[in-house]
Parts: sequence; structure tokens; C-alpha cells
Amino acid sequence: MNSFGKNTVLIGLDGGSFTILDRMMDNGTMPYLKSMVESSARGELLSVIPPLTPPGWTSMITGRSPGYHGITNFMQRREPDSQLLNMISSRDLACETLYSIVNHHGKRAGSLNFPAMSPAPQIDGYVLPGWVSWRWLRRNSHPKGLLDRLKQIPELDLKTLAVKFEEEGKAVVGCEQGEYDEWIRLHIRREDQWFRVLTYLMKTDPCDLTTVVFDGVDRLQHLCWRFLDPAYIPETLSSWEQHVLDLCHEYYRNLDRFISEIVALAGSEATILIASDHGFADSVEILYINTWLEQEGLLRWKSGVDRTDEYINDSGPNMTLNAIDWEHTKAYASTLSSNGIFIQVAGKPGLNGVPPEEYEDFRQKLIAALRERCVDPATGEPLITNIWTREVAFEGPRMPLAPDLTLALRDSGFISIRAADTYLQPRETVFGTHAPEGIFIAMGPEIQQGVSLPKLSILDVAPTILHSLDLPIPEDLEGKVPEDLFEPAFMRSHPVRYGEPTRPVSYAWSTHLSPEEQSPASEADDEEEVMIRLRALGYIE
Amino acid sequence: MAQREREEIFKDLLSILNDLLEDWEYSGEITMETSMMNDLEFESIDAVALGEALEMHYQQTLPFAEFLTDLGERGIKDFFVSDLVEFLHRNVEKKT
Repeated sequence: MNSFGKNTVLIGLDGGSFTILDRMMDNGTMPYLKSMVESSARGELLSVIPPLTPPGWTSMITGRSPGYHGITNFMQRREPDSQLLNMISSRDLACETLYSIVNHHGKRAGSLNFPAMSPAPQIDGYVLPGWVSWRWLRRNSHPKGLLDRLKQIPELDLKTLAVKFEEEGKAVVGCEQGEYDEWIRLHIRREDQWFRVLTYLMKTDPCDLTTVVFDGVDRLQHLCWRFLDPAYIPETLSSWEQHVLDLCHEYYRNLDRFISEIVALAGSEATILIASDHGFADSVEILYINTWLEQEGLLRWKSGVDRTDEYINDSGPNMTLNAIDWEHTKAYASTLSSNGIFIQVAGKPGLNGVPPEEYEDFRQKLIAALRERCVDPATGEPLITNIWTREVAFEGPRMPLAPDLTLALRDSGFISIRAADTYLQPRETVFGTHAPEGIFIAMGPEIQQGVSLPKLSILDVAPTILHSLDLPIPEDLEGKVPEDLFEPAFMRSHPVRYGEPTRPVSYAWSTHLSPEEQSPASEADDEEEVMIRLRALGYIE
Repeated sequence: MAQREREEIFKDLLSILNDLLEDWEYSGEITMETSMMNDLEFESIDAVALGEALEMHYQQTLPFAEFLTDLGERGIKDFFVSDLVEFLHRNVEKKT
């Protein structure tokens, strides 16, 4: 516990949005959250660019932006000149997390269901990572023996708790009407599993900093947006629609109960933060950006490849990338989630592309073309509302791994990397998609009550957590403690303190960085620290 | 590049796979002929995680994404322990 004898709990709601939560509070589905918010400070939390789960959560728990911490997507390149993508893991993480920062001050931390935490770092506390198949939970959790302890929890079922990738895909591609019932119930059961794990550990292994992500919020909002956003809910519901709506409400009702019980368990002296990695909005169309690039003469599919082949399109981005004719491609998108375009720069043996000296000119022309010609064929309205260069979106040493351009679409949606007959197609039904504006709710004895905060940055969460634990904030964190969040009397007696920068971490894929940018484990303070880091990287048992 | 012997690699693989089986229903013996998808019921994400575990075990990067993509390109939706052993035999550098 911190010096005030208190602890901090971060409850993450993946994709949590006031658009939906305010409705759930107003219609009686989330009565506890409604009462909590009345005695809390609340505000919107601006995500990273693009607003995406892995970089969002990682920015929240590192206080660093993606160009520094190195998590840019679910799948990403390991080297700047590679085309194939690898799933991200903790070995891609290039910055210290809050967990090890609080450990340096003798405080313990717990991490449940966060992305990029597998294999689990060897912190003082526990890590049960998210986005891991149940088969790998034991091997990729920390400490050794954690899963055996958790098996004492009544009705714990690892298969339900862990992410099911084949089911997650339905959140963004849809499913048959008959599948909705079981799909939503799966997420209700899964959240119950994480809640059981969290409360068990809070009781048996309390930490100064406890963090958990409930990610069903994101999934439900993707697939069921038309049942959640008042703008789309029909006045008259069919029996099936009413059933789906009821199930959605059941999900949020359970979530409300979980929050209530977590807050009670944390104790009246605890600081409670509820935050999301990004917000949510509606998506009504699909931009097939690789088809637009193909029409611009910038991308070509391999001859003999059926570019609309379902097997290629359904087998992951690497299969789609493998269908590209690299000899005749200058720009391409590799994942839907990044909304990013990569420019193929010549130089890698056997590959053509844009000569390095023409890169900037090519990029500027591509930006202009995207603005002028990537338009709604029916109306001429631009489909792209913002374009960020990677120097802007991913400033930092890990920038070379990120897309050259990142797009914001007019309907906030994700691009598709699939080949299609036309580059713009309406969705058959509205889907939920990510928006930059997430949520931030804070409650505790030192937190001002009933305060509406100005928009915060997701980077502000880490400094806020450290300050709530009365710890100095490493000077290289990019966010700040929000003004007006803590009580003035508390701030006078406990002004924000800044301290030593975060400690360097070694990570697996640092070969493209200059020696000055790399942070070898040998820089650690002592042999024990070196051993801790090597263990954290999985290099030693 | 000095290469690891296939037998040594097979033992390494058994060690990792047996570690996973603790929470698994699979009770059969794992041999070179065991298939990852049909027999061990791997999903594609399990194969990806296996690549990660192998890289950590051997403390070197491996072209595992290329291995999986190559299988996919050839329309192969399952692979055997022996395929993995051959892949590792080609790509794992023996530390001396």
C-alpha cells in the first residue's frame, strides 16, 4: 500500500465510450456507475493515433507514445524493410511499464488482461496477460504457479477466460443472427471469469497498483452498435432485436456490478480510476484502400492470384501481403486496424519501389492524391479526413516500424486491406468502430467530486496513477497530472514530484536502432537487476 | 552456421509442448508424425505463440512468420512436428 496506506485500482474498459455508458447510466442499466460518477471527476480521454487497443493500453501503462514504447498495432513489422508481420508481444515493448516503475519504489503491481504483456514480465506482483490463447496462459503468466493458485477459484475455466480468436473476428466481420446469443453470452461469461480472478487476487495477493481490462465492451460495441447507439435503435424492435438488446444490457448490468464490488473490495481509501484505450463511434462503409491504390497504379497483385480469393483474404494479413506483386508495388496497406499505408522504398534486394531520394516527393504526392481522389464516387466527398505522417503519429525511435501514413476516415472506420471490385462499399449494417475519445473517471478521498475535466491525454493516466500512489513521476513520461483532478488541499500537501527518468529496457527487435538508441541490459544498476531484466525478456528461467 | 541436430531439436520441442499439455486434454504421445492442428488442436494463434516460445528458447529471431506464410501459400493448413524440426534445423544456429 502507498504511504497513505491506500492503493490504486485501474479498471480498464476496452473501447469504453460515454456515448454508450451515459445511456446505460441514464436508463438504469448501470446504477452503480451513475452514483459513482456523481462523486467522481470525469472527462474524455484522447487516445493515441490511430485509436487502437495495443498502442492505447500500452501508452496508458507506460506514459509513453507508440513511437517510443514500440507497440503500434496487433501485428507489426520487426524490421523497417520487412513486409511480413508478427504478432506483438512483450518483447516488442521498449519502455518501462508502471508495474516495474512502482516496483522500484517497493510497491507491488498486478496486471490482468493487458495486451503486449505476454510473455509476462517478471514484476513484483502478478501478470495474467490478455490476447493469449488459453493453451499458453500457464507458460506466459507470472509468477510461476499463478495458474495453479487461480485454479482454486470456483468455476474458473481458462478456455472461457482466454481470448478466442475465431470468435473475436466476428466483432468486426459480423455473424449470423443465430450466433448473436451465444456470442454475447460468451463475453458475459468471460468478464465474469476475469472478475473472479481479479477479486481472488485482490483478496489473497493485494497489490499497491491493481490493473485489469474488461475487453468485452469493445467486442459488443463493434458487433452490436446498432443496438447500443440510440441513433440506430429502431423504435419498434423485432423479438430477436429485443433479445439482443436485452443481452447487451445484461452485459453492462454485470459490468456495473463488477465495478461496484471491485470498488468495495479496494476500500474507502483507495483511488479508483476507470479508463478506456479509445472511444467508439459508428461505421457505415468500408474503404478498400488497397483497391484504391491499385486503381492509382501504385499496387499490383501477383498474376495468377485470385485477388478476391476468400482463403487469401481470410487467412490473415500475411497471406494478403504475400499476394502482392512487390516488383510493381509502391504503396500498400498491411492491416485494417492500423489505417496505415506503407511506402515500398527501393533498396531491399530483388524489390523495386520508390527510390530513397524520391521518398518525400512521392509521399507528398500520395497525400495529395488521397485527399483529392480518394472520394465518394457518388458525391465527390473526400473519404479521408486526416492524414498523419509517421513523424507526427509515431515520433520516437520505433517510428521506422510504423506506417508511412496513417489515415482518419470520414466515418471513423477502419480500412480494409482486401481486394474488392470497388474501393468504397456500404456496410450491410452499421458497425461500431474506434474513435479517439475514450473515458476517464476517477474517484477517491483525494479526488475532487463532481468535476468535469477538460479533455485529457491517455498519456496522462500513468503520471496520475503514480501521483495517486505518492510516487515521483519519471521525467521522461509524456503526460501530466491533470489540473483540478485532485483536491486542492491534497495538491498543496502533496505537490507533483518529478524524478529520475524511466530505466532502459532491452527488447528483442532493436537491431534497427543506433547504438545510442539501444538500451542494453548491461546498463542496469547491478547484477541482480540484469538478471531481473533477462528473466523479464525470457532469456533465462 | 553450425546447425543443431534434429534429435536435439525434437527434444526441445517436446519440452515446450509438454509444458503446454498441463492444461490440455491431449494425452497421446507426441512424435515426429504428430500434426499441430489435427492432433494437438492448435489454432493459428497457438502456432504464432509457439514461434515466440521457440525464439525465446533459442535466444534468436526465427523466420516463423515466413514459415507459416509459406505453408499457407502452398495451401497447407496443418503441419507436423517433423515440419517444425526441419524448419528449426535450417534456421537455429548452434551456440558453441
